[in-house]
Amino acid sequence: MSRFITLSVNEVSRRVEVEPRETLLEVIRDHLGLTGAKLGCDIQVCGACTLLVSGKPVSSCSFLAVDADGCEVTSIEGLSCNGRLHRLQEAFIETGGLQCGFCTPGFILTAKALLDEQPHPSEEQIKKYMAGNLCRCGCYQEILDAIQKVAGRRAVQNG
Amino acid sequence: MKNFEYLEPRSVQEACQLLRQHGEEARIFAGGTSLSIVMKQGFFQPKYLVNIKKIPDLTGIRWDPKRGLTLGALVTHRELETSPLIQETFPILSQIEEDVANIRVRVMGTVGGNLAYAEPLTDLPQILIALEASIRVAGPDGDRTMSLEELFVDYYETSLRPDEILTEVLVPTPPPRTGIEYIRFSSSSVIDKPCLGTAVRFTLEEDLETVRTARVVLGCVAPTPLRARQAEALLEGKRYEVQRVKEAAAFASRECKPVSDLRGSEAYKREMVRVLVTRAAPRAFEKARAFRGQV
Amino acid sequence: MKDQMIGSSVRRVDHEAKVTGRAQYLADMKFPGVCCGKILRSPIAHGRIRGMDASAALRVPGVLAVVTRDDFLNNSRIDPYYGPVFKDQSIVALDKVRFMGDPVAGVAAVTESAAEEALAAIQVDYEELPAVFDVLEARREGAPLVHEIIRVPPHGFEDLAGLRPKESSNICTHFQLTRGDVERGFAESDHVFEDVFTLPDTQHSSLEAHAVVAWVEPGGRIVVWSTTQNPFVIRTQLSNIFRVPVSQVRVLVPYIGGGYGGKLYPKLEPLAVALALKAQRPVRIVLSREEVFLTITKHAAHIRIKTGVKNDGTLWGRECEVLLDTGAYAEIGPRVAKKSGYTAAGPYRIPHVKINSYCMYTHKPPAGAFRGFGVSQSAWACESQMDIIAAALKMDPLELRLKNAYEEGDTFATGETLTNVGLTDCIKRAARAVGWGDRRPRNSSSPLARGKGLACLIKATITPSLSSALVKMNEDGSVNVYTGTIEVGQGSETVLSQIVAEELGLTMEQVRVAPMDTDVVPYDLTTSSSRSTFHMGKAMQLACQDLKGQLRELASQLYKVPKDQVRVEDGKVTIPDASLSYREILCTRFGMSGGNLVGQGVVKTSMLSPTGEKSTSAFWFLGAGAAEVEVDRETGRVRVLKYASAADVGKAIHPLGCRQQLEGAAVTGVGQTFFEQMVFDNGQLINPNFIDYVLPSLLDVPEVIESLMVEVPHPEGPFGAKGIGETGLIPVAPAIANAIYDAVGVRIKDLPITPEKIFMALQAQREGTTLEDR
Ligand SMILES: Cc1cc2nc3c(=O)[nH]c(=O)nc-3n(C[C@H](O)[C@H](O)[C@H](O)COP(=O)(O)OP(=O)(O)OC[C@H]3O[C@@H](n4cnc5c(N)ncnc54)[C@H](O)[C@@H]3O)c2cc1C
Repeated sequence: MSRFITLSVNEVSRRVEVEPRETLLEVIRDHLGLTGAKLGCDIQVCGACTLLVSGKPVSSCSFLAVDADGCEVTSIEGLSCNGRLHRLQEAFIETGGLQCGFCTPGFILTAKALLDEQPHPSEEQIKKYMAGNLCRCGCYQEILDAIQKVAGRRAVQNG
Repeated sequence: MKNFEYLEPRSVQEACQLLRQHGEEARIFAGGTSLSIVMKQGFFQPKYLVNIKKIPDLTGIRWDPKRGLTLGALVTHRELETSPLIQETFPILSQIEEDVANIRVRVMGTVGGNLAYAEPLTDLPQILIALEASIRVAGPDGDRTMSLEELFVDYYETSLRPDEILTEVLVPTPPPRTGIEYIRFSSSSVIDKPCLGTAVRFTLEEDLETVRTARVVLGCVAPTPLRARQAEALLEGKRYEVQRVKEAAAFASRECKPVSDLRGSEAYKREMVRVLVTRAAPRAFEKARAFRGQV
Repeated sequence: MKDQMIGSSVRRVDHEAKVTGRAQYLADMKFPGVCCGKILRSPIAHGRIRGMDASAALRVPGVLAVVTRDDFLNNSRIDPYYGPVFKDQSIVALDKVRFMGDPVAGVAAVTESAAEEALAAIQVDYEELPAVFDVLEARREGAPLVHEIIRVPPHGFEDLAGLRPKESSNICTHFQLTRGDVERGFAESDHVFEDVFTLPDTQHSSLEAHAVVAWVEPGGRIVVWSTTQNPFVIRTQLSNIFRVPVSQVRVLVPYIGGGYGGKLYPKLEPLAVALALKAQRPVRIVLSREEVFLTITKHAAHIRIKTGVKNDGTLWGRECEVLLDTGAYAEIGPRVAKKSGYTAAGPYRIPHVKINSYCMYTHKPPAGAFRGFGVSQSAWACESQMDIIAAALKMDPLELRLKNAYEEGDTFATGETLTNVGLTDCIKRAARAVGWGDRRPRNSSSPLARGKGLACLIKATITPSLSSALVKMNEDGSVNVYTGTIEVGQGSETVLSQIVAEELGLTMEQVRVAPMDTDVVPYDLTTSSSRSTFHMGKAMQLACQDLKGQLRELASQLYKVPKDQVRVEDGKVTIPDASLSYREILCTRFGMSGGNLVGQGVVKTSMLSPTGEKSTSAFWFLGAGAAEVEVDRETGRVRVLKYASAADVGKAIHPLGCRQQLEGAAVTGVGQTFFEQMVFDNGQLINPNFIDYVLPSLLDVPEVIESLMVEVPHPEGPFGAKGIGETGLIPVAPAIANAIYDAVGVRIKDLPITPEKIFMALQAQREGTTLEDR
């Protein structure tokens, strides 16, 4: 019953054999060895498993891998390039937007999707977009700071 | 999750055929946000999953001043939230979508799935019923249209036959002087599923005082989305008055059939129906008076 | 100029790995040959196992091992009983099951689906027995007993010595604290208040589920990778269970995705090792979210509190009965009950005190440590009642607290003297931060009403305890640091590195914390109780000083100068006429570019203070919280506009880290205040998932959280630091409840404070009744 799917993962094309029941999270972690996305609640609430599929955040724990055939997938591993951190990664470190770090890849990817869609979100927009990612260590204020920092910096650059 | 066969029909007809062929062992798969949960829990283990996302006919948001709004079954929550067309014609839909579930569920979850799953704790049905939406359903023997209200039968139960597919939602162009308000009420976290959702819609007479049509639609307080018909009847054909709204709210509170659960007791939910109808009505009324062709 | 190290929020050493997704948590790690372990759990709350047949499970293709009670009956090589305080847990159920979810059997198989199929094939015949699900029922005469006999280990925790289960009852332990004569206290009081407060079971909800990988090497050595917060306890317990020397057990811990107390003490390790022994392969168990809820919880509590007060607000007598629901197994419940007992008199001078704190068994999942344990339960009662008293006496709650709060040199309820107490400062600063005393005019036409509330706390750290550290200097003067402290996200790697860097005059880059491996790092009791900065930080400092002593000694020998003329400062060794780098000293010492110097530091706290006084706690946590809320009178919904958290941190070594701890605790506190609650129906947990067990999100937290750090240095803490991890959580619920009372005049005594409870109380208020009448 298994079949081959083709994914572009962090801009590298990958062909993987999967069973229909396998989730995108399982494929990314177990077949492709990218373990930045985590299994948290397994029910699309916590956001620890967030990946970007065609640029949009999804709960990969509940996303069938077969359904991603032909899609572009971005994982946290795809954000930094040539050893340089992405602005959001840098900002999360600077403001202290993480403690245990388990939710962090999901938060950063969601924030990236937000800023790609809407480079200058209002505080309200950030909160609504990000409210579906949970941080049990409770770094929400710092996470908000981090995103605002990057959004603000962009505003300056673009202006 | 148990394994299953994954089928990807390219047309509605093909999908219906597959559903007919496999009967109870098959299930439509759209965004999968609801289905994945029951499949993981083992409550439901289909042998065939019929992914309808490759069917082009089921996508897209269309607007026609006469016919109104047409939403393909595969339109996602997120599309409703961000579509400029929706923001122009039915801003209420994009406003409420901001608070539905979370960004990831909105990206994946579809309008068709939201309605066809008939889960009691949702938001869209109330608003769409208040706007007198209807749905188109395709089966192996052709299409039929029915009002959205008729779709809902019981908890997680619809009037769709196993080989039918919900293809479109049609929301008629609102008559002039129409206003709608929806209040989504959560009894715990803001991101929790709604404890109840209340939609109130008015269409006014030309005097901007008399209520021609009233819709009071309650969600999460009965096995299906519920029209508070007594409340509606009390309001219709009469001048809009605060006192009457209070009475209507009291009717609505009696008409609904909430059950006590994690999100509140029956008594509390009834009280909240009263409060929320009382709060939503004046806003809907004001919007109706200020109607500019959109709701 | 050298940058300030202590007191500076340096870049955290673990963060780059975490933001890039490269930090390895246990479920991310690859183990060759690893197979999948799964647990069969009891479907009933209480019952005797009449029979069990696992033969069909063994026939499932891919199954490598099945572990049931048959593996332990008449097996002298394994003692299946364990538990941190009493040996009341077993690897799998032996005679009875005691809660819905109690492990009954384990399976190891090559695939997850084979393991699941095997679980389904195990037949268990239960004789169902009556069960008890709350502490009041459990205490009743004739209530079904959770345990008939309880094994007490020979070497328990020193602080819990003397606490014993009460025979033929569900009382796991009973802790008593008396001071003065409480009856006299009440007789001499002008007013006596009596109230009952409750808290529900809640769950830590670390986003990372508990996980373990275990294998047994040829020759019998046990290796365990675990998501544990106290690997050395795991090591001891495994050594006892499998009857091997401690040296034959190796426990390793990677980064942990949140602990909050939920990952202390044995969880999956004993069963994983038993499976690995049989399967002869590494076995991995990763819990599902539902299983996490069944593995460990926070104690539900029922607290009756009676307080005598003089007309002027002086607290004069306090009687308190705390019933803590420890579920089916004691876990660390006895200590939770003890801490609840100690702090049930609150951070106040009360001359007459009588506390009875019970740890009770019920047929529910075991409850254990949860951030601020014991105290968050008693403070809910104690701090809520303070405002009931203030209202009755028409006193300002701030004034009432300041009047009674502990000050430097006061005597604690146990009779010991309190020192380095920054409590009143915390209270005042928290109050000021929410604009205490400024009243907004009330808009009577709006359903929204605002109010402010306060709460404060005192909490102990686990005492006696032990932390040891090693600092190994390399040939270039850089150091590797060996610590048993677990990086659970609190930033211990960074803070410990800062301490070492400061002591040795190194840069952060020159300091590297070694991975946690019990084979390598010296003993540490536990990463909990907000103890690591104080204890391990101090041990690090001592290790560095030991190392500096060695350097001084060496320099004196090698360069023939008197020791008192050698100085080790700013990363250099200075002797008269010369300044030498560490590298030069090591090179001269070993005659090559190689070799190490190793410094060792040990901190052992005791139940006697240095002056010989009794000491319940090596230091005290003091803090306060203040909230401003807005209540919707029509729906009962509450918005927290501002929350201020003040804590006496001694010295903030990494201020951002302190802020994160205080804020994070406030966020958890908000969840516990408003909605977190495990709901049981006849022993069955009905909301074991994050859709129905709701956690606070970015939209639920106070609009502003302000963290205020009071710094009253502790002479024994590293650079004066005290702990801070738990302080911030404790006052949140009562501060908010008090603010709600201030806003709308209703008092909620049962957590969580749902909109419904407020609404119903308001309705009762309008009808002129109180909730209790209804
Ligand atoms: C964490 C979480 C929070 C949520 N919160 C909210 C909320 O606040 N408000 C709210 O309104 N909803 C909420 N939902 C529900 C969400 O809206 C639905 O899950 C979603 O809309 C379902 O769409 P889907 O495409 O994913 O459906 P699927 O999961 O793919 O399908 C659901 C069901 O509908 C059937 N189906 C799907 N499409 C069709 C069709 N075209 N014709 C016939 N049958 C079909 C499927 O066979 C299946 O039985 C939440 C869901 C989750 C997981």
